[in-house]
Amino acid sequence: MKEKSIIGLERAFEWLMRLIEVIIGYALMFAVGLNFANVVDRYVIGHSILGADEVEVFIMLGMTFLGAAVVAWRKKHLRMDVLAKLFPMPVQIFLRAAEMVLFASLTGVVAVESWSYTLQMFRLGVTSNTAGLAMWIPHGTVMVGFSLMALAVIVRGLLSLRGKKGADLPENDHDMGLKP
Amino acid sequence: MTFALVIVPLSLLLLGFPIFLVLLTSVTVALVFYMHVPLAVLHQNLFGSVNAYALLAVPFFIFAGELMSRGSVAQRIVDLVRTSVGPIRGSLGVTTVGTSAIFGAISGISAAAVATIGKVMLPAMRKEGYPEAFAAGLITAVGAIDIIIPPSIPMIVYGATAEVSVPRLYAAGIVPGLLIALILAIYVMWCANLRGFGKGHHFELKAFLIAAGRGIWALGAPVIILGGIYGGIFSPTEAAAVACVYAALVTRFVFRELGWRDFVEAACSTAIFTSQILIIVSCAGVFAWLLTVNQIPAAMAGWIEALHVSWWMLLLIINVLLLAVGCFLDPLSAILLLTPLLIPMVKAVGVDPVHFGIIMTVNLAIGLFHPPFGINIFVAQSVLGLELGVIYRGIIPFVILYLIALALITYVPDISLYGMSLLFGGG
Repeated sequence: MKEKSIIGLERAFEWLMRLIEVIIGYALMFAVGLNFANVVDRYVIGHSILGADEVEVFIMLGMTFLGAAVVAWRKKHLRMDVLAKLFPMPVQIFLRAAEMVLFASLTGVVAVESWSYTLQMFRLGVTSNTAGLAMWIPHGTVMVGFSLMALAVIVRGLLSLRGKKGADLPENDHDMGLKP
Repeated sequence: MTFALVIVPLSLLLLGFPIFLVLLTSVTVALVFYMHVPLAVLHQNLFGSVNAYALLAVPFFIFAGELMSRGSVAQRIVDLVRTSVGPIRGSLGVTTVGTSAIFGAISGISAAAVATIGKVMLPAMRKEGYPEAFAAGLITAVGAIDIIIPPSIPMIVYGATAEVSVPRLYAAGIVPGLLIALILAIYVMWCANLRGFGKGHHFELKAFLIAAGRGIWALGAPVIILGGIYGGIFSPTEAAAVACVYAALVTRFVFRELGWRDFVEAACSTAIFTSQILIIVSCAGVFAWLLTVNQIPAAMAGWIEALHVSWWMLLLIINVLLLAVGCFLDPLSAILLLTPLLIPMVKAVGVDPVHFGIIMTVNLAIGLFHPPFGINIFVAQSVLGLELGVIYRGIIPFVILYLIALALITYVPDISLYGMSLLFGGG
């Protein structure tokens, strides 16, 4: 693959991941607003918004699986790497390559399984109990999230094959405030 | 099956693979090579593990904490606590402890507390002649209180994993959290008197009233959260959502510090952080399902019963295990990995699962600053520019104090259960 297309692919992924991040950020604010409105409704008007809880949980599901793709792209998945960091550099590089292969394969397998499950939900026309939402939508987030995770790791792999610095090693996750 | 459920996860974990991938590999190996079950169960369990209303409290509490810690909240709480404990020798150290306890009741994110409070308190302590190692150790250690005092994210995750009520866990966490804060405060005052640093200041009513006026809005968040839950007004998830709205209103209209763009950025980083946690929750759910269908927790409980191990001996062994694990693994991952295995064992010897939740949280809180790899040590090093050697030297007495508190919390169950029985009227 040409250098230009690799760079283009990287930029496209960066853009896509930022888009997902912003969408799930707004979705989170919407979920908070919906929950708050439900509390106010209960005490002021005396009834609850039907299906609000379901919608909020589905947003959380989307946030989890779609957000996991962003986390994979940014190499921010939580790991216990204090010991692995002590290994010699060639061993570390081998381990990260093995991780990429395992990561892409397993997330790919889950994506395929989720695709069949989501398709089944779509064909059967299953809807949620109270909100009446089509269940293929929340189930589909698992499929989309795992597909994007697999893709993100494959693109990272391509970048590291092209010798792009830092594409293969995980980032230091000692970010301030990132760990509870 | 031992290969799939013990050897594979342990090896991959030690080799530094992402925790969710470790769990996913382990369950896939078990499903394909040992159980011959269709892989559709993977999707069902991944989805089902996160499809829980109680878990919504995780992103909501993180979002509330994010909003509150982006402005001057820490400085306002510091000013309020400092003006109230001014006359005490070692008042700055006591202020650090008090601020962390209050901050814990707002955000519950330990590393953020170390960074935010440390930035305010370290220069002040240096100015008043506190020994560098002492100040470094104190700042690094106090952040651990934040995950013990409710609202605590690890407790929500423990509650979901062990099927224990989160409000009960929160009620049980209050006294142990305050006990640790009290032990630390007494130690700070004792050291200040013994070594002659941190002279107190006169109490000034005017300064106190001004600080109270500036800080009162910051104190509203814990009042809403705890008052709402125990007043029977809302569930923990609703309390978290109300806290988010409160934090947004206060930081936007009262403190006038955050704008719409800040809210969106806080929401984005919360969503990504939540995803980091919940993807592990979803994979741990499949792992726990595998353990259950293979009757492993029941077998372990039976094994413990057959050994006739007393409850105190079992808790001692578990404490050592958790302290060791806590040095290497973050609290949430450790809870998700170990709770399904440990809960049947402690239930078999008659330990209350709520009490055990507190024991587990305190153990893993110690792991946050325990040398050599506690995450808060690195936060203090990078954000506050402290030397690693100085932190290690200063942290040791605080590790010992936390261990004393852990022993008390482990072997005097009433410390945890009293708060729960007070708020819930018995068991």
